[in-house]
Amino acid sequence: MLEKISVKDLKFFYGANMALKGINIPLYANKVTAFIGPSGCGKSTLLRVLNRMYDLYPAQHAEGQIVFDGRNILDAGEDLNLLRARIGMVFQKPTPFPMTIYDNIAFGLKLYENLSKSELDGRIEDALKRAALWTEVKDKLDASGLSLSGGQQQRLCIARTVAIKPEVILFDEPCSALDPISTAKIEELIDELKHEYTIAIVTHNMQQAARVSEYTAFMYLGELVEFDETSKIFTSPRDPRTQDYITGRFG
Amino acid sequence: MSTVTQTMQDTSSKNTATQQRARVLVGMAFGDKVFALATKLAAYTVLLVLAGIIVSLVVGAWPAMKAFGFEFLITRRWAPQLEPEPVLGALAPIYGTLVSSFVAMLIAVPFGLGIAIFLTELCPHSLRKPIRLAIELLAGIPSIIYGMWGFFVLGPFLANYIEPGIVAAFANIPVLNTIFGGEIVSNLSLFNASLILAIMILPFITAIAVDVFSTVPPVLKEAAYGIGCTTWEVVNNVVLPFTRVGVVGGVMLALGRALGETMAVTFIIGNSFKISGSIFAPSTTISAAIASEFAESSGVHQSALILLGLLLFVLTFFVLATARFMLMRLEKRAGA
Repeated sequence: MLEKISVKDLKFFYGANMALKGINIPLYANKVTAFIGPSGCGKSTLLRVLNRMYDLYPAQHAEGQIVFDGRNILDAGEDLNLLRARIGMVFQKPTPFPMTIYDNIAFGLKLYENLSKSELDGRIEDALKRAALWTEVKDKLDASGLSLSGGQQQRLCIARTVAIKPEVILFDEPCSALDPISTAKIEELIDELKHEYTIAIVTHNMQQAARVSEYTAFMYLGELVEFDETSKIFTSPRDPRTQDYITGRFG
Repeated sequence: MSTVTQTMQDTSSKNTATQQRARVLVGMAFGDKVFALATKLAAYTVLLVLAGIIVSLVVGAWPAMKAFGFEFLITRRWAPQLEPEPVLGALAPIYGTLVSSFVAMLIAVPFGLGIAIFLTELCPHSLRKPIRLAIELLAGIPSIIYGMWGFFVLGPFLANYIEPGIVAAFANIPVLNTIFGGEIVSNLSLFNASLILAIMILPFITAIAVDVFSTVPPVLKEAAYGIGCTTWEVVNNVVLPFTRVGVVGGVMLALGRALGETMAVTFIIGNSFKISGSIFAPSTTISAAIASEFAESSGVHQSALILLGLLLFVLTFFVLATARFMLMRLEKRAGA
């Protein structure tokens, strides 16, 4: 199977504090990989290393290798803007930009492509349809992105991410602020998106991990305890700590 | 008393504690009332003082209002010694106040916002504190120091080295050869005053802009960086739109200060009641006119100066009220 991203002996530091202690994990192309584990285990940190979001903060640094299409993205010369266009991210809280629904998506598109008005309209419609939001917003594209409900805002953020055609999408607890109906919609969406994208999702919801992912990684205290097919992790985990966590005995 | 003691011994120790607390509270009740009254008095005194200032300004300005009426606002001439009747008009000081503040804002707003963007988005973390501190120290320099520096250093420097060059450069361009024109007759000029004002209000703009820029949720900035935006694109498309109201509020606060600044401007603007199209000509402002003439004035002349003060009061009141209103709207949104 094709490894879209290979994480090799990744160590990550917040100042002097080591938050990831040598992680080795593949992200397979067109599969959903779920990261589970108790708070503070480093799963969100790992996600933030994958698109080098940590670069915004001076006291944080990473060691090791993250090979993405044959190149180590931790290299100093990596163009972060282009990297982040190829590895999109959806955050825990919905983060619509302070502009209209239309502009929320057009903004990202215009950064990379010179599109005519009609092409732009088409791409925006396409992105909103992929995010299962089109029917709800098609008559109010000029309304502020902030006027939408939380679930709609999150789907707008997904639309914004898919619009610029990334290759990998990172979801950082995308449903933690949403109600069950919105959550179901986003899960369906992730199922759709994996046909075209490689997906990593951090979640605290074990049922969600079981529902949406093909592979699951269990992390604990900055280490990768176990990585396997989701069905194996949830039915016959090898490590007793994984067993304890998925049965709710700790975490 | 003995029965009370008896019952207290009978009840549980928790009850005893409650009763003791109740007695302490009774003892404090009087103190509480006095304190509440004192704070109320302090708060109302401020309102009273404000009302008193307005009333005395209106009373003091009344003779001038009666003598000149609406004409006061549109008369260019300021001749307090004219016989038999002095002619006094506020147009020149109003013009000088507005233009000097406008030019100051023109310089200070881009610089102030630029510094704020540098400090919040670009500057290495170790340099943020020292630079911010230095800029805030600018706000602590007494205005008379700025005035002296403008008079002895900046004024001669501008008049000898900068202004002649600008005049020559724009000599053949219509409109601009008026704004940047005329003979450099003096070290003292509207431009000199505007520059000093710009330096004086810069720390306000920067401090407020840094504060409102830091209200942008980091995750919103990360989202923008997450689709591959550069720092400039994040600032321009996310930070500035998100904080627009707060930035405008801060700019208005700075404008309020520029309009009312007295000492430094009186030193360097030249106190000329002539309205000139050139910013290199001497001019005057409302506060400079009052500061330089009030001590030697009397009668309707003095009343006219008080009326000028009332005009400035109204002007700055509206500017500050707008600023407060805008900042309030930002806070409401941030709290939601």
